[in-house]
Amino acid sequence: MNATASPGRVVPGGLGYLRPPAEIELGAYGLNLRGLRVADIGAGEGRLALGAARDAASVLAVDPDRGALARGRAAARRQGVSNVKFSEGAAQSLRLPDASFDVVIFSWTL
Amino acid sequence: MVDALQEAHRILVDRGVFVDARPDSRVSARVRAKSARGTVIGTIGTQRLTKMDDTLSDRAVRDVLRRKLFHSRRRGRLWHAIPFEDIDELNDYLTDHLRFSRRVKWRAPAARRTPPLFVERAVRFEILEKRSDERFTREERHRQP
Repeated sequence: MNATASPGRVVPGGLGYLRPPAEIELGAYGLNLRGLRVADIGAGEGRLALGAARDAASVLAVDPDRGALARGRAAARRQGVSNVKFSEGAAQSLRLPDASFDVVIFSWTL
Repeated sequence: MVDALQEAHRILVDRGVFVDARPDSRVSARVRAKSARGTVIGTIGTQRLTKMDDTLSDRAVRDVLRRKLFHSRRRGRLWHAIPFEDIDELNDYLTDHLRFSRRVKWRAPAARRTPPLFVERAVRFEILEKRSDERFTREERHRQP
């Protein structure tokens, strides 16, 4: 696809300092995460993972940055979110079982 | 990058969904004056090396599509606005940004660069579905070294 190709669906991205707010980005994807197992790979501090946790059955947030994961865990505790796990790892070699997730998200990861 | 996509494929159930979302360096970011919907007064390009990285990412996604690990369900783009109090704050932001060019290409004279400013950048996303046809995945496994 080149620069002039149709981007497909175009939606407002919202206002935010670093990344779009999770609810807007997830809304743009148009996925119903209710009851699903979600992996957010390259999750950083869990912006999207914590957003996905509102609907998903469980969310695994994976990132190589321990500091970011610690901040994510703290945010989850603050927000009372109990269905998100934070785990250290790299996208190229995930220590996760085969066929264990319904949705895998790479946001700003590739 | 292909390794990461193969890992995503491996941990997904059949017909599971993979989301690839990233800044879209194929289009310049827009600088708007006064509000997030204000007049476009400038644009910001992407650094050359970052564009090359993005091209490699595109190639990796095309590769897994060609190998029939996934098929594309749909794609789209969203425009994300970042607010700045004034030009100084915007320039500071650009100074050490890893993606954006260091300078704004102004389209409007200085008098019309009225703060606050908003940088609106494109984020593109593609929703892929893991192909459920076991034949393809078996063939892929045989191709792995």
